[in-house]
Amino acid sequence: MKKMFAILALLALATLLVTQCAPAATEAPAEPVKLVLWTKEGEDALEWNESLVDEFNAAHPDITIELVKKENVEVLREDFQTASLAGTPPEMLWTVNDHAGPFVAADIIQPVDDLFDLSVFVDSALAAVELEGKTWGVPVSNGNHLMLLFNKQMIAEAPADTDALFAKGQELTSGDTYGLVWNQTEPFWLVPWLGGFKGKVFADDGVTPTLDTPEMVATLQFLHDMKYDAAIIPPESDYDAADTLFKEGKAAMIINGDWSLGTYQEALGDDLGVARIPMVSATGEWPKPYTSGVYFMLAKEVSGDKLEAAKEFMQFVAGKDKQLEMVELLSRLPALAEALDDPMITDDPILKGSADQMVVGTPMPTVLEMRCNWDGMKPEMQAVLADSKSPEDAAAAMQTAAESCIEALE
Amino acid sequence: MGALTGEVIARSLGQIGGMVFFTLAGALILEVSIYLILGRVFSSKYTLPYMLIAPAAVGLALLVVYPIGYEVRLAFSNMSLRHFRDPTFGLAQGIDNLRSVFTKPVLKQAMFFPVLGRTILWTGVNVAFHVIGGMILALLLNRPMRGRGLYRTLIVFPWAIPQVIAVLAWRGEFHFEYGFLNVMLRGLGLEAVQWMTDPFWNFAAACITNIWLGIPFMMVIILGGLQSISREFYEAAEIDGASGWQQFRSITLPLLQPVLTPAIVLGVIWTFNNFNVPYLINRMELETTDILVTALFRAAFEYNRYGFSAAFAMVSFAILFVFAVVYIRVSGGLQGVYE
Amino acid sequence: MSITAKPKPVRKEARPSAVGSGPRRRSAVSRFFRSGRGDSPFKRLLIHLALILASLIAVYPVLRVLSVSLRPGDRLLSTSLAIIPEDATMEAYRTVIVEKDFLLWIWNSITITVATAVVGVILAATGAYAFSRWKFPGRVPGLIFLLTTQMIPAAMLMVPIYILAARLNLINSYRGLAIAYSVSSVPFSIWILKGYYDTIPIDLEESAMIDGASRMTTFYRIILPLSTPALAIVFLFNFMTAWNDYLLARIMLQKTEMFTWTLGIWTLAGQFRVEWGNFAAASIMVMIPVMTLFLYSSKWLISGLTLGAVKG
Repeated sequence: MKKMFAILALLALATLLVTQCAPAATEAPAEPVKLVLWTKEGEDALEWNESLVDEFNAAHPDITIELVKKENVEVLREDFQTASLAGTPPEMLWTVNDHAGPFVAADIIQPVDDLFDLSVFVDSALAAVELEGKTWGVPVSNGNHLMLLFNKQMIAEAPADTDALFAKGQELTSGDTYGLVWNQTEPFWLVPWLGGFKGKVFADDGVTPTLDTPEMVATLQFLHDMKYDAAIIPPESDYDAADTLFKEGKAAMIINGDWSLGTYQEALGDDLGVARIPMVSATGEWPKPYTSGVYFMLAKEVSGDKLEAAKEFMQFVAGKDKQLEMVELLSRLPALAEALDDPMITDDPILKGSADQMVVGTPMPTVLEMRCNWDGMKPEMQAVLADSKSPEDAAAAMQTAAESCIEALE
Repeated sequence: MGALTGEVIARSLGQIGGMVFFTLAGALILEVSIYLILGRVFSSKYTLPYMLIAPAAVGLALLVVYPIGYEVRLAFSNMSLRHFRDPTFGLAQGIDNLRSVFTKPVLKQAMFFPVLGRTILWTGVNVAFHVIGGMILALLLNRPMRGRGLYRTLIVFPWAIPQVIAVLAWRGEFHFEYGFLNVMLRGLGLEAVQWMTDPFWNFAAACITNIWLGIPFMMVIILGGLQSISREFYEAAEIDGASGWQQFRSITLPLLQPVLTPAIVLGVIWTFNNFNVPYLINRMELETTDILVTALFRAAFEYNRYGFSAAFAMVSFAILFVFAVVYIRVSGGLQGVYE
Repeated sequence: MSITAKPKPVRKEARPSAVGSGPRRRSAVSRFFRSGRGDSPFKRLLIHLALILASLIAVYPVLRVLSVSLRPGDRLLSTSLAIIPEDATMEAYRTVIVEKDFLLWIWNSITITVATAVVGVILAATGAYAFSRWKFPGRVPGLIFLLTTQMIPAAMLMVPIYILAARLNLINSYRGLAIAYSVSSVPFSIWILKGYYDTIPIDLEESAMIDGASRMTTFYRIILPLSTPALAIVFLFNFMTAWNDYLLARIMLQKTEMFTWTLGIWTLAGQFRVEWGNFAAASIMVMIPVMTLFLYSSKWLISGLTLGAVKG
């Protein structure tokens, strides 16, 4: 019995050693450089990611890029932070600009100013990833902005200003059909109007929240009126509900982002119209939706061969033909300035409308503190829309919440 | 068929084979070392039991003890996004974190004691309904009847469904426009409820979902316990003229106690720490629906206050621990379970 | 060797409290609690109605998921309460199986779960035996430790588990996840098995040992065969825990081709737009094997959960 034990033990030990050590010994000397790329994309954009990676891998036998899809941007951010903590982060990220804030604060990505000639990109795209005087991401697409989309069968032309919007909207709202729909749960849909009322979420220093302002109160009041006075929007609607209503033809207009252009074109075909969000009649200003886009980011420790390989891939995607390919497949505006002037964009009414809106947009703040603003605005905006708080109270509450959140960040 | 090719199958089988090998090899080495050290060197008469529990102990040490130790250490640091790479560790930070847990808001506005209160309310409401509902159903089923198996099978559905799917299905039903609850309310002429945006109703929604999920478990346990109570007791009691309610109170309840106590303790612990339901039902991330675990999860992952949330977790764990010890002592449940 | 299996505490003799000599009032409510014979047809009807209602409530949300999975893609959100929509289609099922990697996810889940259940049973069977038959130093703290592991919010351990797994090179491998799963269900399994072992009298082993069998032989030859119901329960429990788990899988599996179904199903939920039809279809398909297994063994589960605690 004991002998059996001893023999088994030795056998086990041997197996263990063999399986663990052998692979290391048989590694070929000239291995391709391996990079891991995490992406936040889904659906068609993900397919485009995959085709890019496949094409690049085929053309570069000495580089292998592995694409990993992350469920959504939150998961990507959390997992990247955890992985960096463990020392095993992916080399590249394909993600949104507001991740730069937390990642720079945690010191887990590197600036790209020295790696690229950034002058070929659109200014606003670069501005959205600028922090502490450095640029932290390489732009892929530009935009990610909200705009006014409308169904030409129900409304021939977009209203030019908010008075016209209310008037037209009221004509079109009856029964279960609405003049206008939008995602009433996210403050992302509030900030364009805030810009239209000449407000901003941050003071000039870019880190102090300015939420308790007359401009914010005016914006909240405006949204409240849209629902309860003019009554042109549904009583409760999140992203899915608004999206469904518009696709089913039960809503004449929707405020949604450039990521939805592809699906709406499929659903409505030529009946889809794109325009700027109507000018605020009270101030004469165009609403300023946040623009950002999708960016490459590099983990901090990437260097040497891996860095070179990463640079090659990023240049591949930022090249003009790939940029135009993206425009064609995803209807997103390119980050490469040269590509913006291409007839593909200027001749397409949809893309032209999108570009038109983007021009009056404003880069989304990417500082760490922005999160506090979003979190402060969200419940209060919902409360005002639920008619359970007055705009003044809501604005004050937003400010307090944002301030205590920023304090806690330390 | 997507990516399920023969190659993938072969590779995964190989990996599993590797894993089995790996585990067996590791376990064997472990066993042999214990045998040699304890058996030969110390001649301990407890060699065999230690050998038996060794693999499990090692596994638990890795999966549970190390992470807890890590978290404890983290609770004494100021790690957050700003202090990500090189946080400072020390007693001062630990005390600071502990103080923040009790005095500063957990997320945006909610403070510790209200959240604790809400967690206790959550646990109390849920467990009460679980036990009462389970008891009623078990009593109903505890008799020969037609279709008993069928009823039992159907009622057990909520337990059998993967929890994440069940919670998401319920979340869909709380949708203002399309969820069946509001559709039915409107059908009855009542006003639809804003389940997702109203703090009270959101909490109620989470409770409804969790009650639905938890009753089958209690029912099954109680039913098992009821079925092992000998009929003689009831017959004797009936001869003595006891009413149904008295029988219930004097026979059923006491005899169920050895079964009920561990079930309730487990139920309280699981409900207190229930993450999936409050987190997923709370689509709008209302702070007012957060209980301790969800609040600390958000603090850790959405706000990245790692040090703070580790301290928070310690406090939450301590509370549960004290409760468990007290309850077990008071109810005398220790005998039936630990001896 | 000391024996830990004690005779169960004597059951308290049940005595009805002072009934009083007044007229025996059999109110409707108290009659309700009396079980068994002599139930009036009316009472039986009430009971059946109550049970039917309970069954409906239990099953309805699942039926709703079924109906979403059958709806044509452009009408996923609707106010109709019909279980089978008018233009039901199996399109979602087709999409999930053919276009998405559903089969791959199921395969991954199956392999990991089966491995987990096997390893878990082995770990628990041996460990529980030790706790049941010996009074070794550290036994009581060990039992208390097992109980307290249930109290720790798993979400808090995500970061350290990831770091440890990364250092041990267990990420993205079936190995790491299966080991993690087996270990995480060990406490509960040991508890259940120990309770069951406690009800097996020690005389069996003692007489076998007198005949010359070693301790471990009695374990294999006598105890294990006798504990088959409890072992089945532990197997089932481990299976269900591993099958349904999301948190651990998310920490340990990063590559899409290794996803279990809990991770895979979330890929059907895009950033803004959830593919509800596909999501529902995948959910229904995932539920079927689990529920069949569960319901098939529910008999054992019912008796098993009360093992060791109740002895008639």
